[in-house]
Amino acid sequence: MAEGIREYFGHISDVVKTFWEGLSVTLSYMVRRPITVQYPDRTEKRVADTLPSRYRGLLEVDMSVCTGCMACERACPISVIKVSTDKDPTNPKQRVITQFDVDESKCMFCGLCVEPCPTGAIQHTREFESTMKSIDSLVFRWVADPEKPVPFYRPVKGQDAPRAPVGEILRKRMAEASWIAPASILVPDGPKKD
Amino acid sequence: MKITLGLDSTSLTRRYPRLAILVTLFMAFGVPLGLYVAALAIFPLNTPERLNAMAQQWFGFDLAGSPYRNLIYIAFLLLVAFIAVNYTAVFGGVSTWVERRVAGRMQSRIGPNRTGAAGFLAWVADAVKMVLKEDTIPATADSLLFRGAPYFSMVGLLLPFVVLPFGESTVVTDMNVGAFYVTAVTAFVVVGILVSGWASNSKWALFGGIRGAAQVLSYEIPAGIALMVPVLMAGTLSMQGIVRAQGGWPWDWFVFQNPAAFVAFFIAVTSSLAEGNRTPFDLPEAESELVAGYHAEYSGFRLAIFLMVEWANMWIMGGLAVTMFLGGWQVPGITDEMYKSALGTGLVPSPIWFVYQALSMLVFAVKTWALVFTFIWLRWTLPRVRVDQMMSLCWKYLVPGAFLCFIVTLLWQILVPPVGVKIMGIVLTLGALALLVKFLVDTRRNIDKVKGDRVDLSNW
Amino acid sequence: MAIDMQLDRHILRRTDSSDEEIVINFGPQHPSTHGVINFVTQTNGEVIRRSVPDIGYLHRGLEKIGEMVPYPGYMPFTDRIDYLAAMFANEGYALAIERLLGVEAPPRAKYIRAIAGELCRISNHFISVGTMATDIGAATPLTHALRERETVNDLLEELCGARLTFNYHRIGGVAFDLPEGWATKVLRFLDHLDSYIQEWDRLITFNNIFVRRLANVGIITREKAVDYGLAGPNLRGSGVNWDIRRDMPYGAYPDFEFNIPVGTGRFGTLGDCWDRYFVRVQEMVESSKIVRQALAKLPEGEIQAKVARKLKPEAGEAVGRVESARGEMLYYVVSDGSEKAYRLRVRTGSFMAMGIIEELSPGIMVADLIAIIASLDVVAPEVDR
Repeated sequence: MAEGIREYFGHISDVVKTFWEGLSVTLSYMVRRPITVQYPDRTEKRVADTLPSRYRGLLEVDMSVCTGCMACERACPISVIKVSTDKDPTNPKQRVITQFDVDESKCMFCGLCVEPCPTGAIQHTREFESTMKSIDSLVFRWVADPEKPVPFYRPVKGQDAPRAPVGEILRKRMAEASWIAPASILVPDGPKKD
Repeated sequence: MKITLGLDSTSLTRRYPRLAILVTLFMAFGVPLGLYVAALAIFPLNTPERLNAMAQQWFGFDLAGSPYRNLIYIAFLLLVAFIAVNYTAVFGGVSTWVERRVAGRMQSRIGPNRTGAAGFLAWVADAVKMVLKEDTIPATADSLLFRGAPYFSMVGLLLPFVVLPFGESTVVTDMNVGAFYVTAVTAFVVVGILVSGWASNSKWALFGGIRGAAQVLSYEIPAGIALMVPVLMAGTLSMQGIVRAQGGWPWDWFVFQNPAAFVAFFIAVTSSLAEGNRTPFDLPEAESELVAGYHAEYSGFRLAIFLMVEWANMWIMGGLAVTMFLGGWQVPGITDEMYKSALGTGLVPSPIWFVYQALSMLVFAVKTWALVFTFIWLRWTLPRVRVDQMMSLCWKYLVPGAFLCFIVTLLWQILVPPVGVKIMGIVLTLGALALLVKFLVDTRRNIDKVKGDRVDLSNW
Repeated sequence: MAIDMQLDRHILRRTDSSDEEIVINFGPQHPSTHGVINFVTQTNGEVIRRSVPDIGYLHRGLEKIGEMVPYPGYMPFTDRIDYLAAMFANEGYALAIERLLGVEAPPRAKYIRAIAGELCRISNHFISVGTMATDIGAATPLTHALRERETVNDLLEELCGARLTFNYHRIGGVAFDLPEGWATKVLRFLDHLDSYIQEWDRLITFNNIFVRRLANVGIITREKAVDYGLAGPNLRGSGVNWDIRRDMPYGAYPDFEFNIPVGTGRFGTLGDCWDRYFVRVQEMVESSKIVRQALAKLPEGEIQAKVARKLKPEAGEAVGRVESARGEMLYYVVSDGSEKAYRLRVRTGSFMAMGIIEELSPGIMVADLIAIIASLDVVAPEVDR
């Protein structure tokens, strides 16, 4: 009987005590700063610029330092990258890249393609805003015109490749492109075996 | 990357900030103030004597002898009811805004802050959206009951407004069985819950409906008994009578005059929360279990009615507790004689009388909003009880507690002299004040205990 | 509608049920089933007769993908097996393949694996306790937990570049070294965390309603926990003192001193939902201890062992087990000498927890079922893979 009474009133006092603590915690949050970042229009800086440098955003390829080794294509587990190479018709000793497509709609931003690149041509940028009206527009064609292929870059021993600062090329291209532009319907042929 | 849509996608609020602020101020203060002023002007006139005198003096029309006098009285009543219902709807909307902002800050985030200045027009947008939504009725639902169920709940919500005194004379009608009437009509909401749960022909809705019925019916008992305690202390069932028996200062409130009334206040508030389906008693619509329970199948305007019932019920809950326990509209310093003398003779009372009325309405509103804030605060802090725990809380803790308070109040009223009551009032007020101060100090200390946090009122 | 009813009854394997009982589907779209899982439940009013989990809605064939993708390329897929505790999923796979190849990660990599793993454990437990509080009805603790988790996400974003699917471990070590100034940020966060968990306890852990919802609910005895193959906090909440980090040590864990929190039946019976919940809260404190020790004793050196780019291990099989946030995660790899696995099997803690729900279900209330599912910390991707 006494046990029951003690339990009864103990329960009531436990309720009062724990409610007091819980309510005081919640009230104290009324005067603490909410952590909401009011993206995209009430941030101090552009969010992409506040991200850490290792952030794995959209891929960017600096074709001027691409050696055409296709290590990135082999490393990608879901075949996002398609590279086609060919002999240069004007120069038999040179090979050219005729196609370098990165399908950003399939990319899972894992970074496995960035690691084997010998010159650092392909890198993850800090950009992540890539809304396009058509999903086909998300295939970024880094060799814009197959008629103007890019020659392989020959790395110079002992020197780092002169790659443009990461993100510059991509930002320029996205600033020029319009998100509602229709997708390119001239899909080049698949990668040639060589 | 610049996204161009062909039209400027910056929001209207950003483009015309002054207009946004003006519209917000109009909605925030203009509309409720307009309703209040209308209430202030029209409610006191709503007695047959005044209407007769008004018709005689201003229009030279003998209303008392006219065969149409009942129609005129009814027309006036409808006008008064229109104002009260509008007030309910506006309050329901504004309280959603307050709830979302307060809940946001308690959860370390901002609530709505884009539609209108400080996001105030979000509830207007929501209301318009609700009305425009598709009205779906499940094919296997009982169509008549399904359509009619929300209106039962709405009636259960609106009827208590009839006796709730907003101010000294601003009450729709001062029934002499006011307290009894309120406990009787709030049971209408059960009908709405049960019928909607059954008529939806959905197992989830049925769960919610059954739980809701069990909950609201069970908690009628402790609510009723706890609300009888101020009736005992005032000696009358009429709401205005209960308020007039209290005074403006805290030690004249019923809640502090009697330790049993202090306990009865908490029992009454808990039971009201349970009747209004607010957390910790929101089992009928438990979001994480039943995903909207008894109103799961509703959409559009009918859902808006259910939601309005839930939010506007907070005003009833708060208003009832304020009237019964916290001194109602009594302004500290203004006594009954001052009201009577300001009334004067003649048809229209003196301007001082209107000032007193406005003050009393303000006091009532402030107290009720404080309680509403507490309800919101409780909702966002506490978890939900389980069905059997809810029942055991009601029958094992609240009902015996309410009976005990009732009996102690009976004995108190008989045995304790008025000076003893006054002393108890002052003692309990000081005690409550001390507890409040300790609570605020504890709250402030919470911030210091967590390393890296501090008081920071930015980021609205 | 009629066909669904037959399917549900088929799942319940009952043909006899009185008219008063209703068969109801909890899910697959439900806020509290922690993913797309369906629980076919037969109830008599509020009291449940039986509840059977119906899984498979999130099956993505990840084990089959392991046979189609070369070994190093499978690492991002392991993130998706359990995206809330992705570091452990990575680590288990890396351990299995390293054992297959017979290489070992260098000491610095082992320490960094422990740091990343324990930070990920803190992140996962925040979600677990936060969503548990929401399922019980308190909405505020979830946003607070997510707020704290955001700091961990930011730290791990600085470390490896992603906030959820890290793909940080590699076969032979880890991908990147610690950035400049990262250790200081981590220590600052841990100072905040240790004081924050006390506030969390005051807000929700000892709240009377919360305790009464969870105490004496879903009691799993020691024998049952072991019989049903539960792992991690589910097992330790029932009083079984078993932790892979101490009992089958791997990586750098032998160098650290930490306690293993075990349920005590403080507010009810041993093995109830509250015990499992509290074990997780205490594990967060222990994880912060481990990270501090690891950062203090971090050795210099390489972060990745020399491993060929095109991996062709000898034919054979290997097992890698880690103490993931949700229990033991076991990777069983069979290699046939080619560059892709012959068979890759993942055994996850949540899948084992599905089995005990049917056992616990008779006689409980609907609200208790929600509490049990939340306390077992089930995530659908781990159940279905």
